[in-house]
Amino acid sequence: MTEYQYIGKPAQRVDALEKVMGKAKYVGDMTLPGMLYGRTLRSDLPHARIKKLDVSPALKVPGVVAVITSEDFTDHGVFGFPISDLYMLAYEKVRYVGEGIATVAAETPEAAIEGVKAIVCELEPLPVLLDMDHALDPDAPQVGPTRSDGKHPNFLGHYPVYKGNPEELLKECDVVVDQRYETVMQEHAYIETEGGLAIPTAEGGVVVYLSCQSPFIPRGHICRVLSLPEGKVRVIVPPVGGSFGGKDDLNYQTGGQVAALALKTGRPVRITFSREESILASYKRGAMRMHIRLGADKDGTLRACQFKSTYDSGAYSSQSPFTSWRASIHAMGAYRYDACTVDINTVYTNQGYAGAYRGFGNTEVCSGIEQAIDEMAEALNMDPIDFRLKNCLRVGDVTPHGQKLTESVGLTDCLLAVRKMSDWDRKRKEFAAQSATDKRRGIGVAALFHGTSLGAEGIDEATGTIEIHDDNLVTLTSGLTDYGTGSRTVYTLIAAEVLGIDPGRIRIHRPDTNTAIDSGPTVASRATMLGGNATKVAALNLLQILDWAAADLLHCDLHQLHRVGEKYVGPSEEPVPWEAVVEHAREMGLVLSAHGKWSAPKIQWDEEHGTGVPYFAYHFGAQVAEVVVDLKTGATDVVGFWAVHDSGKVIFPQGAYGQLYGGISHGLGYALYEDLDFQDGYPQSINFDQYLIPTSVDMPEIQAGFVEALYSQGPYGAKNIAEPAMVPTAPTILNAIANATGRRIRKLPANLERVMLGRVLNKKGSPVSCKVALKIS
Amino acid sequence: MLIKFTLNNQPVAVEAPPDITLLALLRDYLKLTGTKEACEVGECGACSVLLDGNLVNSCLIAAPSVMGREVVTIEGIHDADGGPNDMQRNFISYGAVQCGYCIPGMVVAGEALLSKNPHPTREEIRVALAGNLCRCTGYMQIVDAIEATASERAKKSQ
Amino acid sequence: MSKYEYAIAQTIDDAVRLLNEPGKRNVVLAGGTDIFVALRVNPLWFDRLVDVGRVPEMRQIREDAGLVSIGAAVNFTQAVESPILQKRAPFLVEACKTIGGPAIRNCGTFGGNVANAAACADSLPALVCLETVAHLRSAKGERRIRVEELVTAPHETQIEPGELITHFTFAVPPQDARSCFIKIGRRKAQSISRLSIAVIGNLDRNGKIETVRICPGAAVATPVRFRNVEQMLTGQKPSKELFASAGDQLVAEMIKSTGQRWSTPYKEVALKAIAERALSNIFLQDGSLC
Repeated sequence: MTEYQYIGKPAQRVDALEKVMGKAKYVGDMTLPGMLYGRTLRSDLPHARIKKLDVSPALKVPGVVAVITSEDFTDHGVFGFPISDLYMLAYEKVRYVGEGIATVAAETPEAAIEGVKAIVCELEPLPVLLDMDHALDPDAPQVGPTRSDGKHPNFLGHYPVYKGNPEELLKECDVVVDQRYETVMQEHAYIETEGGLAIPTAEGGVVVYLSCQSPFIPRGHICRVLSLPEGKVRVIVPPVGGSFGGKDDLNYQTGGQVAALALKTGRPVRITFSREESILASYKRGAMRMHIRLGADKDGTLRACQFKSTYDSGAYSSQSPFTSWRASIHAMGAYRYDACTVDINTVYTNQGYAGAYRGFGNTEVCSGIEQAIDEMAEALNMDPIDFRLKNCLRVGDVTPHGQKLTESVGLTDCLLAVRKMSDWDRKRKEFAAQSATDKRRGIGVAALFHGTSLGAEGIDEATGTIEIHDDNLVTLTSGLTDYGTGSRTVYTLIAAEVLGIDPGRIRIHRPDTNTAIDSGPTVASRATMLGGNATKVAALNLLQILDWAAADLLHCDLHQLHRVGEKYVGPSEEPVPWEAVVEHAREMGLVLSAHGKWSAPKIQWDEEHGTGVPYFAYHFGAQVAEVVVDLKTGATDVVGFWAVHDSGKVIFPQGAYGQLYGGISHGLGYALYEDLDFQDGYPQSINFDQYLIPTSVDMPEIQAGFVEALYSQGPYGAKNIAEPAMVPTAPTILNAIANATGRRIRKLPANLERVMLGRVLNKKGSPVSCKVALKIS
Repeated sequence: MLIKFTLNNQPVAVEAPPDITLLALLRDYLKLTGTKEACEVGECGACSVLLDGNLVNSCLIAAPSVMGREVVTIEGIHDADGGPNDMQRNFISYGAVQCGYCIPGMVVAGEALLSKNPHPTREEIRVALAGNLCRCTGYMQIVDAIEATASERAKKSQ
Repeated sequence: MSKYEYAIAQTIDDAVRLLNEPGKRNVVLAGGTDIFVALRVNPLWFDRLVDVGRVPEMRQIREDAGLVSIGAAVNFTQAVESPILQKRAPFLVEACKTIGGPAIRNCGTFGGNVANAAACADSLPALVCLETVAHLRSAKGERRIRVEELVTAPHETQIEPGELITHFTFAVPPQDARSCFIKIGRRKAQSISRLSIAVIGNLDRNGKIETVRICPGAAVATPVRFRNVEQMLTGQKPSKELFASAGDQLVAEMIKSTGQRWSTPYKEVALKAIAERALSNIFLQDGSLC
């Protein structure tokens, strides 16, 4: 094993100090002289034609300075990738409750609200499409854009994986599991709401501070919708108070709105969302309905998987084409099959809208397949871990996509480790023999695989820069954002390791489109691999320069140099400090900066035939939960939790553990109570008093560990962690509940009513709190 | 109206309307933005401050009601030299910080706990943080940091 | 321009005077944990907040001549830490522990919990079981009314405009009384009651139930005692079977009051379960559950 100085060693998050002191300035903390406050009029109908929109009364409200609508943008502000169907502000139609229609800029937040109230907006209600199962009915209300290919306008896409014919093979299998599973919408619930601040520049451009993930994307959008050249739009990402996939499309709208208002008024304009506005306006994790059929032989060999599902993208496509694709790739779980097909159909409805959220499709399908796998183990009378061990992917296996796995497949080790750590075998036996009281204990497991980075979704490369300044401070830039994930610390440690210098010498800039280089979006848990490799290449380039200078200074050849701590040592002379080498390099006239670019290994996917190499590497992991279920109240207490993941090399341990713990908390909420329930298009929980996320007493003590199945192309062998941390948590808990109660909850979340009764109780919804909140808060 | 109170051990007097919350008074009138706004219904604890030594949600406190009282915000929590105190240093070294948005509130809640209960169990720490939501960390390392601070302070006071 | 004004009361008289100043809609401010939440989803319903949070008499918990008195501005942390309440009404203390998180308990008050009169208010079932009397002051003088009667419907009470709850009193329960409070929430903290129950009672010399008072929370429109069930239990020897049938009757009365609702299939099982547990805990075990 290679010994590293900084990689994998205890380290401190580079931006923690400013945060613990309360000094970190998030967008909402910024004020500027003359700054205006923006506020958006939002739809209180789930589907309507904008019949009349007259903003002139708003302009008469004292304090109101400007109002914008879709008319203030080029092509009405249409944007979105891969499908352009969103607008900076609604154009002609609104498709969900909370959709922005017009934005007011005023001297005070109060005046902005008064301005919003004064806008005359007549909405003509259109038929509402609520049920994804009826989205493609011939007479379904049209939500999606009219298409020229003859397909249903509410059809967004079909995402297949095809290997063999499971339909036929299932007939031959000794045991078949045939079940339906359902997930509901989940709110990201980042504690910092969305926001943006735009400052007009003297040249007619705009600087936008935006709480977002990927600054180059909104820069592109703003340029396009305001017809500005790239040189005139600068996006800077200040500290971001959590995102989890949630601060893309919606907050790009915010960016466009503040930019347009700043240009229109010539003054800085800031928008900060209230919590109610955040939950109403923002996209969610989409709901999915799955039908899974698994076939296995009596000896426990999994043979066939047929997975069919519908995914509800809601009113807009947002990231759903990519989410659905990732879902399709992971739908069968990390197992070998002789035959496996996946068909995911994604549709439009008027139930809010779905976009990126941690796990990005895999979280949804994992909650289905990992329950089905458990049900199969039960049907075979096999231990769930034994069954998974028998069938899980290993090095040398070919996945159902047709990809041969040649390295870095740590799932077996994860399962073995988590089994031991959780004392699985003893508990499983003990719980099976427990007496029939109201409070039942159970233990459950789930496993996952998760493709690293974008996969065959698109171009996958990143560029970092490194520079030594006159005071010997080393700075890094990256086009990828650290919205709490710890990637800035990862880059710092990588640069320190390569250069052989103390991480304290290194500072990393915040993403800024004027100084960083576009490295694609900060999504898909790709920051460590892509940004880390780019940083590593940049640092290696700089190291070459310094080594050259050191050799010159120490009068020796490059190969004769070695390092003792930061110092350079040659064959004969005294060791010289790093600063002396840097100084000598300057005297030699060397440029002390470097770029580093890293492109991911080439992969390809045949969309039509559902086969190929979808990702260049995979994360693996296994989690175990122990629960106490009160049969008479339906309350589930997660009393123990164990997680072992194969993230490749762990570069920043505190950060990696933190990602794991945090991911598990998202998954625990998803398992037990998180449900952004839309009734007739209206979300039924719009603040944290109704939308419950786990508190400190809801989270169990977690024991976590890492299996480091190194990936040769990752920086120091690292893969990824952010998303996979949450992916298997919900099915882990659901499997534990089933073990405790003998009853399965196949629709998330396993709330009080479902756990007690084993069925769903439907509460009639109300639009009232949404309508009031849209007017007041 | 003129609201006079003690803020982070300094007397202050600030002219503000009566219909605002302490949170707005701190952020908008005193420009102390370490206290965060996130739900405004007392559910998340991002706006936690100490009022006469007790943990409160500043979003649920009428600004004029602090007249004559003592308020401590995150800006008032630091070491003698203005740097991080032991709790804040532990938040850093135990990896308790991710996005950081809940962290000022967590530090305030941690200090509120230790002022009343210098030797809390992990369970007691969790109960003390139950009104402070964090979406990033799963709370583990925050509990670690407060636990470590309590035991260090106990050692020091021996 | 402010949307509303603020006034601080130094004494009860002062508060009553401010609340009755003509030309203004005055509202009592104690802990603020309900008012500022309601302000976000309701149009403004007052012109001035009258802050009673500093009136000394309203912030005390006392015991005097067999009567426990809780000031209306006493907050739930005070209640949890009060030796008087810990001794005299442990189930009330347990109920207060389940309210919000520490910051909410540091602010939320008994007066506010009662005046806001949410069906799920967590301090109310125990207060009702204790036959707590609310003492109200107005320009006309003082009047007393039981909390159970004061609350007439969800978020509705008999409190008149200009009237102030000053304190609550309840008679010290018998030495051998045991009590229990159980709450079901969707989450383990900061959670609104899905259902709760408060029970207090004692056994006579022969081991039969001498008195018992039962008040569920979030089961029917307001927290009320289920007297038919209490009657059925009185004079009986405690047993699992007895408590099971008490649970059944409790459920039947709940449904009689609310009719069948979407949540009834859940609540009928859960209410019976927590009733049985609370009764067993008090009369068959050591009372340590709550």
